[in-house]
Amino acid sequence: MIERSELHDAAQKAFPHDALKPDRAESWKLIAEMGWLMLPLPEDAGGLGLGRDSAAAIHFELGRALCTAPVIPAMLTVQALGASETLEDRESWIERACGGEFIAINLRGGGDVTATGDTLTGTLPAVADADMASHVLVFAKGLAALVPLDAAGVTVSERPLWDESRRLFDVTLSGHAVEPALVVARGDASHRLAIRLQAELLFALAADSLGGATTILELTIEYLKTRNQFDRPLGMFQALQHRCADLKVMLGAAEALLWSEAVKPDATLAQAGGLKAHATEVYRFVCEEAIQLHGGIGLTDEIYCHLFMKRANLNVQLGGDADHWREALGREVLAALAG
Amino acid sequence: MNDTHLEALRLEVRSWLAANAPKGWREASRTHEDFFKAQRGWFLKLVEGGYAIPHWPAEWPGGGRSLAEQKVIYEELADGDTPRLLLSFASTFHAFSTIHECGTEEQKKRYLPKILEGETWCQGFSEPNAGSDLASLKTRAERVTKDGRELYVVNGQKIWSTMAQYADRCMLLVRTSSDGPKQAGITYLLMDMKAPGVTVRPINQIQGDQEFCEVFLDNVEIPVSERVGEEGAGWAVAQTTLSSERGLTLMELSYRMRGAMWRIAELIRKNSRSDDPGVLRDFGELATKVASACAIADQFLANRINGIERTGDASIVKNTYSRTLRDFSLLGLRLGGMDEQYLAPIVFGDLTTGNWMADFMNSYAWTIAGGSEEVQRKIIAERMLEMPREPKGWVVA
Repeated sequence: MIERSELHDAAQKAFPHDALKPDRAESWKLIAEMGWLMLPLPEDAGGLGLGRDSAAAIHFELGRALCTAPVIPAMLTVQALGASETLEDRESWIERACGGEFIAINLRGGGDVTATGDTLTGTLPAVADADMASHVLVFAKGLAALVPLDAAGVTVSERPLWDESRRLFDVTLSGHAVEPALVVARGDASHRLAIRLQAELLFALAADSLGGATTILELTIEYLKTRNQFDRPLGMFQALQHRCADLKVMLGAAEALLWSEAVKPDATLAQAGGLKAHATEVYRFVCEEAIQLHGGIGLTDEIYCHLFMKRANLNVQLGGDADHWREALGREVLAALAG
Repeated sequence: MNDTHLEALRLEVRSWLAANAPKGWREASRTHEDFFKAQRGWFLKLVEGGYAIPHWPAEWPGGGRSLAEQKVIYEELADGDTPRLLLSFASTFHAFSTIHECGTEEQKKRYLPKILEGETWCQGFSEPNAGSDLASLKTRAERVTKDGRELYVVNGQKIWSTMAQYADRCMLLVRTSSDGPKQAGITYLLMDMKAPGVTVRPINQIQGDQEFCEVFLDNVEIPVSERVGEEGAGWAVAQTTLSSERGLTLMELSYRMRGAMWRIAELIRKNSRSDDPGVLRDFGELATKVASACAIADQFLANRINGIERTGDASIVKNTYSRTLRDFSLLGLRLGGMDEQYLAPIVFGDLTTGNWMADFMNSYAWTIAGGSEEVQRKIIAERMLEMPREPKGWVVA
């Protein structure tokens, strides 16, 4: 049994958080070598059978370093392969995917891909790092399938982002006929898989966000300790100290929620959504404050603030926004407390 | 201490509470006097059941519980919606720890057994001009010999003494010297509240409760044998008092807040707003914040059980709880609408009663008392984040 703290240590060594936004290709190689993609796979599928908290530990640490490699989508698609009952050569697919062959997935939800029989048409937005993927995992009503990105009728176009640490693509399918061997799930199983991956995505984004918020808060406090104005470090001004303390409280409580929810086997999708909404809003707010606390230099690209701020704002949108998830959770809690 | 053992304890406490916990206690206490009687009765019942003092050492009946066991007992007290132990709190935590750790053998024998019989203590720490800056307290104690007895004669005023109107005894901080650093001249005394010269005046709070009192001290004579620690060592003894309860109460309160979420749900339904997306969002956001407050309180205790406590952690737990409690009461107040502006009876001894104006006003108890939100921020900034301290010695220009 691997303790969560060991995963944090290993990830910090591989991705030190003073080396922000490391090279994508090298990072991806390292992620595969570390065996992290196997963490959430059940043991009978050749994985380590560890819980969400293990994956979250990796996402947290890689979020701290503004990791540019697609570790979040990769962990999702590896799990989809592991759960598949229809995929031909499932074991070899798992081996390929864990070894570094990237299978992409849409990170936003939505999109308008429709299935007519096994033929897919429509555009899938927000597919991360499609340029380095061999396949994309596509969900349409009643069908989940791998689509080779070099197949006929598949076009991939990058949509440049404000976030400099990530790359997103639109994948357009014009009457792509799914190969029977590449069907990952059908019917109810496909629906269940979609829900499960959505929950995993929400936890991953929450962890990435709180990791990122941890680094930018540390950097901000460090800056306030060293920058002198009025013959004293800025960090001596109580007005600024109190703001930093509030951010620390906010972040500490959100992190406690992450780790407690990540070990609850019965956490609902809406609870995961509530966590994600909260964690991403905390990240966004810490970044908002970080720029203000840095002053003018925070508005330049000479310093790191904007990198975190842009990633935080993307995290707010990926996986569904706070309005959506808070409403869903509110509805669920209300129903559970039926008078 | 394994999980099976803890689960067995949980079931034992739960079934005991099912048979013994008072029902309808909110409605039963319409006056503060009734509340006091109900509190006393419930405490004595818990003593009998063996759940009142799990944190005391094993030689006491019901004592000797590990922190993990204490957590289980407090979780059950909260989830079972039992009355909070307010009246006995200062006695079983503050007075006990102080006397047990710093008192003389004579003091231990005289006072500790009495606590289990229902004798109650209050704190005489704060003063009108010594709030967050407690060490600047001015209540004077002069040492005299009178009729062959060694005494302190005490003059001054204390404030914010919780439930002092019902207290038998008081943990009193006095100034015995004005030389040197202000902390150094403080002495810790145990005072009989019925001693001549002690006057208690309950303070009317904005929501109509009288939870705190002023205590006036006019030539009160306290025998030197009632001193805890050496003369001038009171500040250190007071730290023992104040650190006697770390985490259990905030965990208990967070759980109680979670258990009270139905009150807001009821309000949403009553006002036919179950499909209002804005209301659902606010409710969902609150649910996450309440879960977060529970999670950080749990984490703090779990760390303590494993022997980990970092400076500032307790402040994070407190500021999280107090802000979430404010958010909770504000959402209820907003959704309650005009109805909440008409006076309604208050409930004693509960922070989430569904009388939303009262709950909102009461929520300040946690952002102000027990080290204000601002003091906690300072602790976090200076001791945890290690931001530079302000230079001392501010002078009026």
